[in-house]
Amino acid sequence: MTKLTNSLKRYWQVVGLAVIVILGFSVFGYARTQVHAASGRTKIVFWHEMKGPGQKQLNSFITAFNKSQTKYEVVPQFQGSYNAVIQKIMNTHGTTASPAVFQSMDISSSQMYHSGYTVPVQKFIDRDNYDISQISSVARGVATRNNKLLAMPFNTSQTTLFYNAGLLKKYGIKPLPVSPSYSDISRVSSQLYQKSNHKIKGMSVEAYSWLFEQFLSNANEEFANHHDGHVGIADKVKFTGPVAIESMKWLQGRVKAGDFMNYGNSKNEMAAFLSGKLGLFMQTSADTSLLIKGLGKDLGVTYYPHPDGVKPNGISVGGASMWIANDKSATVQEGAWQFIKFLVSAQTQAKWEKATGYLAINNKATQEPVLKQLYAKYPMTKIPGDQLKSAKANYTNSGIFVDGVVAARALIENAMQQIYAGKDVKQSLQTAENSYNKVLKSTNRANGHG
Amino acid sequence: MLESLPSTKKTQPTSSHEPQAQPQVKSPVASFELRKNDKYYAWLFLGPSLLLLSIFVFYPMLRTLYLSLFLTDNFGEPTVFVGLQNYLHLLKSAPYLASLKATTTYVVGVASLTIVFGLLLAAMANQKLRGIEFFRTIFTATMGVSVSVSAIFWLFMFNPTIGVLNQVIMFFGHQPIAWLTTPGWAMVAVIVTSVWMHLGFTFLLFFGALQSVPKSLYDAADVAGASSRYQFWHITLPMISPTMFFVAVITLISAFKSFGLIDLMTAGGPTNATNLLVYRIYKDAFMNGNYAQASTESIILAIIIALITLIQFKLLAKRVNY
Repeated sequence: MTKLTNSLKRYWQVVGLAVIVILGFSVFGYARTQVHAASGRTKIVFWHEMKGPGQKQLNSFITAFNKSQTKYEVVPQFQGSYNAVIQKIMNTHGTTASPAVFQSMDISSSQMYHSGYTVPVQKFIDRDNYDISQISSVARGVATRNNKLLAMPFNTSQTTLFYNAGLLKKYGIKPLPVSPSYSDISRVSSQLYQKSNHKIKGMSVEAYSWLFEQFLSNANEEFANHHDGHVGIADKVKFTGPVAIESMKWLQGRVKAGDFMNYGNSKNEMAAFLSGKLGLFMQTSADTSLLIKGLGKDLGVTYYPHPDGVKPNGISVGGASMWIANDKSATVQEGAWQFIKFLVSAQTQAKWEKATGYLAINNKATQEPVLKQLYAKYPMTKIPGDQLKSAKANYTNSGIFVDGVVAARALIENAMQQIYAGKDVKQSLQTAENSYNKVLKSTNRANGHG
Repeated sequence: MLESLPSTKKTQPTSSHEPQAQPQVKSPVASFELRKNDKYYAWLFLGPSLLLLSIFVFYPMLRTLYLSLFLTDNFGEPTVFVGLQNYLHLLKSAPYLASLKATTTYVVGVASLTIVFGLLLAAMANQKLRGIEFFRTIFTATMGVSVSVSAIFWLFMFNPTIGVLNQVIMFFGHQPIAWLTTPGWAMVAVIVTSVWMHLGFTFLLFFGALQSVPKSLYDAADVAGASSRYQFWHITLPMISPTMFFVAVITLISAFKSFGLIDLMTAGGPTNATNLLVYRIYKDAFMNGNYAQASTESIILAIIIALITLIQFKLLAKRVNY
């Protein structure tokens, strides 16, 4: 029996130790989430999803902001992908793990708005009489509801066409116009493929829904009803409109002709482009700085393509906006707003465009020496910004204001892959459309939207 | 310390068949007290793990079952009760059935190839050759490679323009293969990578099993004039059958759980060709925010794995030679 008593004693020791360890961790964790940092400043936890050059530049902005004043300390936390962060916000709101200010992508605006988890930045704009006209109106379009700005655009990009001007010169091919039509692109792509003896692929368009959405935007075709959800709750989508069909038939035609290559992801695509094995591709303007590093003055840039004989409508911006969460104290929210103002100032935005290729959304940024020098040295870097300015904001080029577009994107991407593999265009898009209409119906039902 | 516990049990009347074998030495009161103590000790020692299990296993399981009967809103809260509609909807949906088929191909492919190649490597390493220790070490090397590293490593191998595999294919004058962008080849690519990753551990298990087969059996067979092939089928295989069974069960379950590899290599594409059940659950829950559907899929997957494990135990256990 003494053996048993001993082991019981040991048992309680172990249990006690476990309890102490758990308590220790909780206290440690609690201390870490406190709003007052060691410096006595108010801590502003900031979630972002920037990688590569963007992350580097963003971190240096944060350091500069923290040095510029004594009240707040912004603490950046990298959260992975745009897609994942939406669910992270939904799951952590109201806990100590949630951020004070966070970056969330264009197509999440609707869901963030409906969640009721954020404070519209319009509140601070009105209070401070902040001059919002200095911020690009197309950029604001994706985070606006009832003429109120919900979140501040920060990293704004546009889908852009990049081509290898050096290769075109080498094979004596006439370069693309600034705003090319589908057939302009077909010409360059097939000439490059033929003249290089099939050694160089003419073009590539990643099976990425954002690119599909911009084909519609640029030809003023709606993606969802109620004007892409901007004037009501969308309950029907249309992926089989004339432009959707035309653009996909065009790409499938290039696949069949042999000059189109599907690289599977943007990394492989970029590797092929930088190594001179691919003539042109379409991606976010945020890739510009990386491409300049690789190709220098041989990089060619144009607007996003439009169907033949159609006046380009302009495209919605991509990228993300800064949202202020409403589960933190007024002091913390104030700090978040100060940080946001810093991020969209002309100076910050000019540096941001130079470092990444995201477009400076502050209209005064082009007057900054940083950008003037960049445009003088590499004139093509100015083109995506010109594309942004050339568009007049309307419903079809102001993003899609529908909950759960992430799921729609997966379906569209699946359809695009099928189309590239040779399946019927109309049928592939119809399947995606039908599936998403079903999803939308049950989502609306679950969220009490009828 | 804990060995003292079973000793308390011995004092209890263990079976009613032989009351005479254990004369009533202790008074009924003492035995009652001990039994009461037993319960106390049982709760004391099981308590912590039961508590942890209920928080981290039982509650999530029940919650998943509960969520699968509802539609969930943007916050993941169940709002509309739909009964078994989620299940019916899923089992009729073409993409889900395609995922089920892809998972079957993947799991069967990975498990069978891992066993065949693991055994092959182990048989080779079991030879008594000079310098064989080096190969024994090399063959286990994939055990130390993490999922992310091997995914990136194989992504380079499969790269359409600069990958080694396509360079070799083109050297022999063939058209390069779009490994990760054609549905069939993408499945081949993830199976190859997964088998490669599983190989180290499987090799180690098989090698250990081969080493433990008594040499005297082979000596006797040699004397009887049995061919080495006959020896393999009639001595080696039966002797390592418990290991074989173990490897089959764990590779199958581990193949079902493949996530990191798929996420990094294909993200379920192209055209959902490698969208395995586990990956689909992740995407539905944490990308699409459809927790009800993800819960339904989890329950179905749990049922599938339970059934397969049951079948394995029923069928294979008979052939296992312990």
